[in-house]
Amino acid sequence: MSIRHGLLALLERGPRYGSQLRTEFESRTGATWPLNVGQVYTTLNRLERDGMVAQDGEDAAGHALYAITDAGRTELKSWFGTPVDRSSPPRDELAIKLAMAVGAPGVDIRDVIQSQRRHTVKAMQDYTRLKAQALAAVEGGGPKERDDVAWLLVLEQLIFQTEAEARWLDHCEARLIRLSTAAGPGAPPVHGAPPIRDTPSVQGASSAHGASQPRRNTGPAHPARSS
Amino acid sequence: MSTQSPHTSQGQQRPVLRLQQLSRVHGSGATEVHALRGVDLDVFPGELVAVMGPSGSGKSTLLTIAGGLDTPTSGRVVVEDTDITAADRKTLAALRRRSIGYVFQDYNLIPALTAAENVALPRELDGVSARKARGEAVAALEEMELGHLADRFPDEMSGGQQQRVAIARALVGDRRLVLADEPTGALDSETGESVLALLRSRCDAGAAGILVTHEPRFAAWADRVVFLRDGAVVDQTVRSQTDSLLTGQAAEL
Amino acid sequence: MITWYHSWRAAIRIARRDAWRSKGRSFLVLAMIALPILGVSAADLTLRSAELSTEQKLERSLGAADARLTDPGYGGAPILQTPNGENFTPADDFEDKPYPEGSTDVTKAAPQGAKTLKDATGSAKLRTEHGLLHTEIRELKAADPMAKGMLTLVNGRFPADGTEVAATTHFLASSGLQVGSTLRARGFDREYTVVGSYELPDSLKSDQVNALPGALLAPLDKALKADGLPGTGAEASYLVSLPGGFTWNMVKETNAKGVVVHSRVVGLDPPAKSDVPFYQKNDWGDFGMSASARAAALAAIGTVVGLAMLEICLLAGPAFAVGARRSRRQLGLVGANGGERRHVRAIVLSGGLVIGVAAAAVGTVLGLALTYALRPVLEEYIGRRFGHFDIRPLELLGIGLLAVLTGLLAAIVPAVTSSRQTVLASLTGRRGIRRSNRVLPVIGLLATVLGAAIALYGSVFSDQFAVVAAGSALAELGVVAMTPALVGLFGRTGRLLPLSPRLALRDAVRNRGRTAPAVAAVLAAVAGTVAVATYSASSDAQQRAEYKAQLPHGAVSVIMDEAGSARDVPAVRSSVQKLLPVEVRADISRISVGSANCSVWGGSDGCGTYEVVVPPQNECPLWATDPANPDGDPAERFSKEERRKLAEDWRCQQPGGRGVYVPDGVVVADASLLKVLEIDDPAAAKALAGGQAVVFDKRYIDKNGGGGNDDGKDGTDGRDGTDDGTDEGGTDEGGTVRIKLITDTEAAGNAFDEGREAPGEIKSFRVHRAADDVDAYGLSVIVPPAAAKAAGLTTLPLGAYYSTDSLPSTEQRQRLEGELDKTGSSVMLHIEEGYTSENSIILLALTVFAGLITIGAAGIATGLAQADAEADLKTLAAVGAPPRVRRTLSGFQCGVVAAMGVLLGSAAGVLPAIGLRLAERREQLKWYQEALDNGWGGLASDPHVPVVIPWATLAALLVAVPVGAALLAALVTRSRGALARRETA
Repeated sequence: MSIRHGLLALLERGPRYGSQLRTEFESRTGATWPLNVGQVYTTLNRLERDGMVAQDGEDAAGHALYAITDAGRTELKSWFGTPVDRSSPPRDELAIKLAMAVGAPGVDIRDVIQSQRRHTVKAMQDYTRLKAQALAAVEGGGPKERDDVAWLLVLEQLIFQTEAEARWLDHCEARLIRLSTAAGPGAPPVHGAPPIRDTPSVQGASSAHGASQPRRNTGPAHPARSS
Repeated sequence: MSTQSPHTSQGQQRPVLRLQQLSRVHGSGATEVHALRGVDLDVFPGELVAVMGPSGSGKSTLLTIAGGLDTPTSGRVVVEDTDITAADRKTLAALRRRSIGYVFQDYNLIPALTAAENVALPRELDGVSARKARGEAVAALEEMELGHLADRFPDEMSGGQQQRVAIARALVGDRRLVLADEPTGALDSETGESVLALLRSRCDAGAAGILVTHEPRFAAWADRVVFLRDGAVVDQTVRSQTDSLLTGQAAEL
Repeated sequence: MITWYHSWRAAIRIARRDAWRSKGRSFLVLAMIALPILGVSAADLTLRSAELSTEQKLERSLGAADARLTDPGYGGAPILQTPNGENFTPADDFEDKPYPEGSTDVTKAAPQGAKTLKDATGSAKLRTEHGLLHTEIRELKAADPMAKGMLTLVNGRFPADGTEVAATTHFLASSGLQVGSTLRARGFDREYTVVGSYELPDSLKSDQVNALPGALLAPLDKALKADGLPGTGAEASYLVSLPGGFTWNMVKETNAKGVVVHSRVVGLDPPAKSDVPFYQKNDWGDFGMSASARAAALAAIGTVVGLAMLEICLLAGPAFAVGARRSRRQLGLVGANGGERRHVRAIVLSGGLVIGVAAAAVGTVLGLALTYALRPVLEEYIGRRFGHFDIRPLELLGIGLLAVLTGLLAAIVPAVTSSRQTVLASLTGRRGIRRSNRVLPVIGLLATVLGAAIALYGSVFSDQFAVVAAGSALAELGVVAMTPALVGLFGRTGRLLPLSPRLALRDAVRNRGRTAPAVAAVLAAVAGTVAVATYSASSDAQQRAEYKAQLPHGAVSVIMDEAGSARDVPAVRSSVQKLLPVEVRADISRISVGSANCSVWGGSDGCGTYEVVVPPQNECPLWATDPANPDGDPAERFSKEERRKLAEDWRCQQPGGRGVYVPDGVVVADASLLKVLEIDDPAAAKALAGGQAVVFDKRYIDKNGGGGNDDGKDGTDGRDGTDDGTDEGGTDEGGTVRIKLITDTEAAGNAFDEGREAPGEIKSFRVHRAADDVDAYGLSVIVPPAAAKAAGLTTLPLGAYYSTDSLPSTEQRQRLEGELDKTGSSVMLHIEEGYTSENSIILLALTVFAGLITIGAAGIATGLAQADAEADLKTLAAVGAPPRVRRTLSGFQCGVVAAMGVLLGSAAGVLPAIGLRLAERREQLKWYQEALDNGWGGLASDPHVPVVIPWATLAALLVAVPVGAALLAALVTRSRGALARRETA
């Protein structure tokens, strides 16, 4: 998560002051990753220390303006040019949960999967609704079109990620069903365990997942469709 | 499991489509297959319901029974207050002309007819004069910003355009229920989106729709997603207010 | 009602566009339906245009005159006539009085104040570029206003003086003369100039020459008669013009003067039947067809039309079936959008409707256009000018409706089949199990059994072949209906076949919906062909067996028996000798009674005839008139058994009537004739040389010798007449033949009526009797010229018989015919070539027709199969089948359909033909038995009605046609598949 690079990218378009940067960041990313002003100023200080931004006077209201330096531009360029690192996948709670649920007594893993799927799809529905609004705004050609487009892209990133997760869940379920039929009764219990459904904890976890781990990677999306 | 719509705002409205304890058995004896087992589902005006599930879960059977193309082994299908379970072929055909529109995966349009004539087809079959039916069709196409396609033949249109014309046909006249079976299956992601967006907007304008798909991304356009497994509804999502999601997220941070 | 109309409109729109989208298939079907429609509408238009209105008819026959007066030849005796003057009869009965005869002066019968115009017609031989042409000569002042409309001037002008003539265009064309040429008649030295050409609108093909009254007929007649030639035989009628026209009452008045009137006024406004005395006097029924005959004709036409439509439907049906199959998903979509079964049916039926209407329009319009464009040719062909272009919208509409009906009928089965499919099956494209209709085969089986039973009954228990034909037709329709089931049976034979044929057979059997109509179409065509072929092969065999040569093989005869043609005989005799490889020539003459202008058979003024007297003891008792009861049938004196026995008697054997050009087969010739006829009888030759006649028909021999004539020498009293006649001939212990010359034919006729002997001078000849087994080719007596002369007989040259070295070639024959044409007299030329079958061309044409139908139907079915098999072919290619499999498969698919149809059709065709022949045999046997019972036994011969299977035709149909069809299909199929096609309608 690079607030540094995000601020640099915003400053590329001209000098800004701290709270202005915060507003613009949020409008571009659709408040998906909320910033507080403190975070902005801390980051700005670090950037100034590293010689990537410089104080550049004040505006009429007396806000201190920051501008990007040549070093900052170089850094920004190399950031855009460098792919996001996928070599060490971050820990994923859902993956761990499913791994633990396999063979755990008293847990129906299909219910675990289904309840997760419901929340994943629900999150997608929400994103899609926002996306529909964004689409309408983009097509309407509003004054902040550039921000709207950026917002749309971020939303679609979220949608595709959740879709990958939903598909992965589909795949898990199909795989488990096939294994259980292949191994016959007594294999990893799929049916019969008391259903765990709609528990608040799951709901909470799911909500948290949607909001707080936007860059979580669940591995490459499975090409195999679930149906 | 109850699948009554959780919309409080629609509580007093009558559902456009009501499926009650729907079961369908294909074949018999050793080859007996339970395609549906006691499915309940209500679809209200203005609501788009997505049906998801693995292959063989009974999605398509649900759709064909809802439109009267197939008959359930047991249970009831009520379309706009008419119980069609025991209706004869003619009544069902009339129902499809007047109440229900279908959109299939591909090849939805009759190649011999222009877009406008395709849209006008159910009306003409219903005995409306060609001129009037065409007028309605052109109006429907224009409402969906497809007016420029009116005189094109299907082979002069892209796949997405054909599907959008098919949606226009599904909702021409008094029809308020569209049954879409993988309408985006043969389309690329971007085009599929445009088709879903149109379906969404028609439902926002008051139509009711059922969308069968295995693509979560397209199902996400629905107000409600019903999960089907082995012929039974196992789960469904509940529509929430979009804003609350974001405000909730913001609050959590 | 309105609703119904609107939904049909949508259906028709879809069908119309679909037809346009698959142009090839649509065009094929359209052509199939439109072609017969074209022919029928053109025929209708031609017939209707050739049919004249009363006014037009009157104009052509009366010109501008009011009536035509004709002398009926009753010598002025009062007559009665029909309003149109075509039928008339003397007003009085002439039962016991001589019938009135003679001419009357027609002009005197014309009313006061009437203008008359003479219209005389005779005929004579005119000299042409090529020789002589028998031509009608009409003396009529064609330029007279009264004659306007009778002759149409084409070129030049009508004659203006006695040295000029005009001629019909047909005469000019066939004579090689032109306007400006000089025209001469045979036996007449006057010359005429052809100054114009004209035509007779009602008879374009007649050879006629027009001259002014008195210019040609009378002088020519005089000259001819002076020259001993027959005259012009002119007859005159008079055109009459008078104010107020010729009313029916005036007609009746004129009738009283013995003159027939054809009146314009009466023609336009015919009197009531009760006003026509003619109808009261005579029981004149309408000479039209009786109701039952008309019904039979209608039934025949109906059957032909029905069978043609069935055949077209069977051929076009699969095309609609494949159309429906291709647009299955489209029909499913219609269902998903609320289309009911009737809507789906309507769409498929509309396909038939659209094609049918298009075919009707194209067919009738082309038919009209063609008739219009070819009008002169058609007029020439039917020989009369059209009255006007008579388009009957109602009839054309009817013909067009036939096309629409055909289209609809062809689409009906596919329509019902497609509408039966569930929407879901149509949408998912599942190939459901196609259960074939069970009702149809059952009906078919019933029809087959019933039809076969009727045919069997007909051929075994009755002799009515109408029954056999009807039964066979019914059975055949039944077989057509059973085709799907029969096709199913073929499927079981495929187990041991290699891949391609097995695949083709299975595919054909699985998809009976498209295979069966094609097989049925082939079946129907082949069955018809085989039936006709078997029948005609059988009757051909019968005719071959019944054929009797007129001459020994390779021999030639020329005979000229026309009046006055004797003078041309020598030239003709030598022409033949010059142009053909003649070995021996035998000149023959005939006995003439009367002048040299008399024809062989006499009859005209001053011409008599002769007969060979059969001695009373040699007369067949069955025919000999009983003097006691001259009016009774002589055979009635005998019982049935006696009659049968007498039929075997030699006196009652009638020689076949072939090769006889003279009464009783008497010719005057020398011994060379025996050589030509290959009669190897030295005694006969010697007899001829010695002045004795040779007799081949021993009934004529009077063993008692000729009585009462000058040179008659009494023979010994021979055995009596009831001699069984089995003695070997060739011996001659005397006997005479007596020839009676009848100069007064009228008296002879009266004598015959009264059962008396005809009066006449009798000439007797000593005869030599030829052996009984000698074939004299129809001659009964040869009189040597010397004997004829000695007996004082007048002879006239008749012609010659020739024997040849080799059978004359076609070229020689054509050259000779060209030469003979120039003589102007009619020459009967016969070259004995043995029996030549006239059926072979018909058989060939039928085989070709059946072959074409077979290939067409099999081709259509193959096209359909290919469309269906695309997926299978892709699979085959995917598992590594070589590209030629596509070719071989389509070849076998075509071959399978053709083979099934041909096999079933042959079986279905041979049987009724055999049935027909058997019924015919029974019928002929019955006639023969009846003839024997009635005492006509000697005339009839034991019927020979063989049944012959035309193996060559069958082999061509059974082997060559399917193989040809298969090869053709394989040839036109591309090895590489079409690019994966989207399944579109």
